[in-house]
Amino acid sequence: MASVNSDEWRAICDKFTNAQNLTDVESRNDPENDPYRSKYKARELLREIYCSLKSFDAGEGEEESGGESGEQPPTEQPVDGQREDGFGQGFSGDSPAGMRAAKLGAVEYYLGVNHVDTEELSAGQEHLMNCMKLLERCRVSSENVSLFIHVKNQLGILWAGRDETEMAQGFLETAESMYQRYMKEDGSPPTDMTEYFTSEENLLTHQERTKRFELAYTHTMYYLAQVYKNLGQTERAATYCHSTLQRQLQLNQFSPMEWALNAATLSQYYITKGRYMEGRHCLSAATVISGLAGEVPSEAAAQESETESERREHLRQKRAEIARCWIKYCLNLLQDSKKLLEDNIGELDTDRQDELKRARRREEEEEEKGRKSALLFGSEDTFDSIASLEEKVLCLFPLDFTEARSVFLVGQNYVTQAKEYFQMDGYVTDHIEILQDHSSLFRALAFFEEDLERRCKMHKRRVDMLEPICNDLNSQYYLLIRRQLMFELAETYNEMMDLKLTLANRQADTQSLDNHTIKKFNNLCSASAKYFQMFLDSLCSPEGKFPEVLEEEVLRPALVARFRVARLHSRLISSVPPIQLENLNRSLENYKYVVQYCEAHPEAAGAAETELELSKEMVGLLPLKINRLKARMAANN
Amino acid sequence: MAGASVKVAVRVRPFNSRETGRNAKCVIQMQGNTTISNPKQAKDGAKNFTFDYSYWSHTTYNVCIFAYGQTGAGKSYTMMGKQEPGQEGIIPQLCEDLFQRTGENTDPDLTYSVEVSYMEIYCERVRDLLNPKSQGTLRVREHPILGPYVEDLSKLAVTGFTDIRDLMDAGNKATVAATNMNETSSRSHAVFTIVFTQKRRDQMTSLDTEKVSKISLVDLAGSERADSSGAKGTRLKGANINKSLTTLGKVISALAEMVSHPQQSSKKRRSDFIPYRDSVLTWLLKENLGNSRTAMIAALSPADINYEETLSTL
Repeated sequence: MASVNSDEWRAICDKFTNAQNLTDVESRNDPENDPYRSKYKARELLREIYCSLKSFDAGEGEEESGGESGEQPPTEQPVDGQREDGFGQGFSGDSPAGMRAAKLGAVEYYLGVNHVDTEELSAGQEHLMNCMKLLERCRVSSENVSLFIHVKNQLGILWAGRDETEMAQGFLETAESMYQRYMKEDGSPPTDMTEYFTSEENLLTHQERTKRFELAYTHTMYYLAQVYKNLGQTERAATYCHSTLQRQLQLNQFSPMEWALNAATLSQYYITKGRYMEGRHCLSAATVISGLAGEVPSEAAAQESETESERREHLRQKRAEIARCWIKYCLNLLQDSKKLLEDNIGELDTDRQDELKRARRREEEEEEKGRKSALLFGSEDTFDSIASLEEKVLCLFPLDFTEARSVFLVGQNYVTQAKEYFQMDGYVTDHIEILQDHSSLFRALAFFEEDLERRCKMHKRRVDMLEPICNDLNSQYYLLIRRQLMFELAETYNEMMDLKLTLANRQADTQSLDNHTIKKFNNLCSASAKYFQMFLDSLCSPEGKFPEVLEEEVLRPALVARFRVARLHSRLISSVPPIQLENLNRSLENYKYVVQYCEAHPEAAGAAETELELSKEMVGLLPLKINRLKARMAANN
Repeated sequence: MAGASVKVAVRVRPFNSRETGRNAKCVIQMQGNTTISNPKQAKDGAKNFTFDYSYWSHTTYNVCIFAYGQTGAGKSYTMMGKQEPGQEGIIPQLCEDLFQRTGENTDPDLTYSVEVSYMEIYCERVRDLLNPKSQGTLRVREHPILGPYVEDLSKLAVTGFTDIRDLMDAGNKATVAATNMNETSSRSHAVFTIVFTQKRRDQMTSLDTEKVSKISLVDLAGSERADSSGAKGTRLKGANINKSLTTLGKVISALAEMVSHPQQSSKKRRSDFIPYRDSVLTWLLKENLGNSRTAMIAALSPADINYEETLSTL
């Protein structure tokens, strides 16, 4: 081996440094019509280094095939990344042969990456595989393990780029097990790739070596996450994303706001899978870590400077977005709980409630165990803050009103937070979505409320929140949002109407209701019909013509709206026969529409089966009722 | 028209239509001797491309023209053309008719105004190309009445096509690509907007009615260039792996979407999580796209503003 202090060695080290500089720094200034200029230059230097190293071998007389104090290199193994056992056979990592292999391997590595960067994938692959072959003759040691992991990462990326996901998986998984085994059996800070061609003075600290090595493995995790995602193994992919995030925190290799947003996004994955414990953990961590991003610059500071202004905007917006993720958490938890507890008419089933409460006592013990095995985020400073945030909200399904209310209040709190940033003037769509979530929170809570009067009040809150908005928005720019609001208002009024009726203890006929109640009922009924009608009107052309054919996106809502308008009109209470007649006619007209449309467009029938069935019945029955009424009217005149 | 490497997609929507989400799919055929290339067939359609601009005069339109193709492939020729007669591009043709109309007007109750803005969207930030002094980026906001807009974007009045061309040239000099040769402007989109306002005063009521039409020219030049320059793959296409941890968020987000995708109703998906907002361009043009984030073509809806009504709402 050439002496470390020789001029030749110096020259090689300088070349290497140059090559690095060209690749990392100079290449950014390459012109667009010659974008790889610096990289080609770097390549030349790397080739020269390779040749020099090879000539050293020749000069020293040490042949690869020559005896190395009894150790034989392993026989050619299939280098497809499947070979795991780099730990048993081969040259010792710190032997001269081992060191030589590592150095040559490093050059091959850099050449490989160079070719890949310049879009020469086959050449890149060849060099990377050469690197692998060289290293595989050695035992895994601190001298070569970092390079080993890096080259496997690169090969993983390369094969993924060729759509050979399983090949990529192979390389990355062996990198993973190699890391794990190395940490178990050795664990000392390994030589970093850049150190093969540096002088003694410039070697890295143990701390720095560890940092880079761990970062390489974090990338392995990340690449595996992507591979599993591409293979459709979403759960595994999510676990690896989770590990990636976890490692970033542990190794202090993260930017707070970015990390927080990623954790919040991961929480949304968990929520869609109904895994609320993990979701809550992600969100709590997101909140805590986002706090590490620093104080929000004051308005005054933002006025002074462009950067402060942007920073203020950025921090406030991202924190508000995390708040919105929390809203979704609370909302989904309540809604999923409702699905578990509701009976076939949408009311709370007390038997099921008891059953679930009993089951839960058993579950709480499991939860503790689950926690330990679940991946926890944080470091010494943050574990506690994250845990205390988690304690503020349930992750188990709320089973009664008290529990539901506690979740609701947490959600409502985040609504207030989110609205502070996402104000109507400036963020119409976001603001309204937050209001819609708030409305949904009320709706979910109402399910748990036993007192019907209070339930009705909750729905009233929804109306008060959404009605002014619906009417104030520009109808052209925000048509779709308005339609959503119209539908929601119509349904809410309908809900209130039903509650009022139940409250008044209605019997088969309407005589027993007092005038006050009738008036209230009718108002709610009309309001509901009005909004369904408004929705239908919004589908019309500028000339006021209702479309002949209903587009797919509006088909079901339109049919349902028609049906509901029909039904509501038939439920209006009046003692005045001409008005009764008018109501019944309107009702019949709309039922008929549903039936006729589905006859003319058979494919539409599937969109609103129940409504169609009932409409057909009513189209049969209502004319009889109308005729009876007409007869009575004629008789009385 | 220009060479085959330039593709032009035009979406024209008649004034006061209340169609919304459907717009992204269909293109209306104008009457008379006009043909509009169907955006989906833009590849071959681009060649036989003519407008009957006289139709423009009778109603107000909103046109959003997307042009994508490599710079130097004649895109600007397609759009702007040369000054020789018969070689004018789309924009000059449109403008010519526009200014002819305004020039010919003798009705004292009818006034016209034409204003232009020019902005660049780069890395999700919006820059005002007509205000060279503006340092930072502009914010995109939504107003309940006025809809989406770019805060503080310059609107300059013009009286003729020369003005428009000069402003466009000036703006081009301020683009990212022009000011920083080494930046790949692969993700920069320039949007040049001409706002044409017809104001009519009703003598009896003294009320002003405005009809506003917009032509937006969206330059999506970069998308192809990214391929040829060998920009490192930061796209999440197919089985590709992203090298950098900065894309972790996108990967996670994709996972969440993969889970909720099998759900049939989009309502469930919407209530489940926050969409990963990754494109200012679509957001700005999404006014009538509804929940669709993938539609390429958007038509900006016209605004029929009656002052009286507006005032009472405000």
